[in-house]
Amino acid sequence: MTTKGFRALIALCVFSVTCILLPLAEAGEAVQLRILYVNDFHGFAEPYRPSGSKAFMGGIAYLADELERQRQGRPTLFLAAGDMIQGNPWANLFEGRSSMEVMNSMNVSAMVLGNHEFDFGPKVLGARIQEARFPILAANVREIPKISPYIFKEIAGLKIAIIGLITEETPTSTHPKNVQGLIFSPAVDTCQKALKEIGAQADLVIVLSHLGLPADIRLAQAVDGVPLIVGGHSHTRIESPMKIKDTLIVQAWEHAKVLGLLDLTFQDRKIIRYEGRLIPIAPDKQQPDPRVKEIVARYSQEAAAVLDEVIGQALLDLSAQGARTQETNLGNLVADVLRKETQSDVALTNGGGLRTDILKGPVRMKDLFAVLPFTNYPVVLKVTGRELKAIFEYGLSDAGGGRFPQVSGVRIIFDPAAPAGQKITSFFVGEKPLSPETWYSLATNDFLAAGGDGYALLKQIALLKEGDPPKENRVLLFDTGRELRDLMVSYVKEKKQISASVEGRIQRKE
Amino acid sequence: MKIYVNDQEVDLIKGMSVRQALTQAGLFEKIEKGARVYDAWGNETGLDGALEEGARLTVKAE
Repeated sequence: MTTKGFRALIALCVFSVTCILLPLAEAGEAVQLRILYVNDFHGFAEPYRPSGSKAFMGGIAYLADELERQRQGRPTLFLAAGDMIQGNPWANLFEGRSSMEVMNSMNVSAMVLGNHEFDFGPKVLGARIQEARFPILAANVREIPKISPYIFKEIAGLKIAIIGLITEETPTSTHPKNVQGLIFSPAVDTCQKALKEIGAQADLVIVLSHLGLPADIRLAQAVDGVPLIVGGHSHTRIESPMKIKDTLIVQAWEHAKVLGLLDLTFQDRKIIRYEGRLIPIAPDKQQPDPRVKEIVARYSQEAAAVLDEVIGQALLDLSAQGARTQETNLGNLVADVLRKETQSDVALTNGGGLRTDILKGPVRMKDLFAVLPFTNYPVVLKVTGRELKAIFEYGLSDAGGGRFPQVSGVRIIFDPAAPAGQKITSFFVGEKPLSPETWYSLATNDFLAAGGDGYALLKQIALLKEGDPPKENRVLLFDTGRELRDLMVSYVKEKKQISASVEGRIQRKE
Repeated sequence: MKIYVNDQEVDLIKGMSVRQALTQAGLFEKIEKGARVYDAWGNETGLDGALEEGARLTVKAE
């Protein structure tokens, strides 16, 4: 090698080392960064056909295949914007363990807690957090071990701060016991505090949000210094990034039906170019990633076994036959479980919601899915005795319809021949006659509380507020974390032997 | 909370989702026939999407 050649080699080496050591952003070079993202997976591991769709969509193994393809040869982050571990039976039957195993195999850069991550209770959430091989964030919740408000990631010479924010509505959207002792703070204030702490340490700040699009927009309008919000919670299909002031907002619909992709070009601490889109995920668009496919199949097999597993014994036939016209022993059992689990004075469920019998003998989990096939959640309302009577007057006004009440905690005698609104001749709550002015807690399901089967009064009550000024909510509990079916499964597992009888809770006047 | 579906006012318990709003508005059958739901910014919205006070949804046939 000549002296000139040697000098050129040294100069090249010095240049290369400088390039490696000096962050590209500081050197004024443009840096390319790819953000890949999902939200609201809800354990929809297998492809499925959404309501009204002719095509199968989603499938986490197919999404993993696309993810790997989009990661090739460039610096990327893969972000999960919450509600990942709960929802579909594929996840729920394992309290989210299956979802966590899949995510661990997909090299997640960070995840924010969603409100439904709390639905299995604090102990299970703690176990899932322990299992996660990636950081889980939530800046505006305190007292959850191993959760960080924000993290730093160094990639492509950039120092990136990722702040996690969860909806402030979480405490009212899950059972209170799931969030006991936790302190939730307003998202905007928390974000501003985090930004102050982060200061100049980061080249780029990303908010990983489970707030919902309207709240993301408010955040972007209220807070400076957040160039990107990767969102979830509202299940919004944002096909190309929204821009609010200087903030880009993205969100990738739901259930792994799309993979979000955002390419950023970054220079001098600013995004100078961006291009984003959602990539459809479906069995006819990708090949399944073999590792994720194996995990999905293993848990699907296990789920089939769990559904087939005997969880208790019915000591006699529990009948739903006639639940649209009269008291039934299965209706009594379901209403008893609803009342007990919600610690309410009275429980009411609609006879039309009970779809089949449980026969004497072994009870499998799948039997309970057959009896209660609908996704219904418990709702507890605060009602007066007068309102309670009016509700049951309506329920008993049309024997034969799905509205016929299956009840717990009351004994009612009614005259089918009497005019509508005057059918009830005797009404006891527990051992005491109904008192029109007394407050009672009434457990029902979200379908009826929304006015389903014509229960308009339940809906009206659910929207009322008490007090002066009126601010006390009449909804004592709306637990979107546990379905009515889940309550039944827990009950059968606990009791092992189940039975119920028709005992005159609703009687016709002779 | 009060929201709007195709400009029709719908009252919901706080925490209820797009699915329950459509049921109350009597429009869920349209979804089963292929219609889709869009938010105030024209983005398609999933049926289990969270809603806020004042949200505006539009159901459109595909």
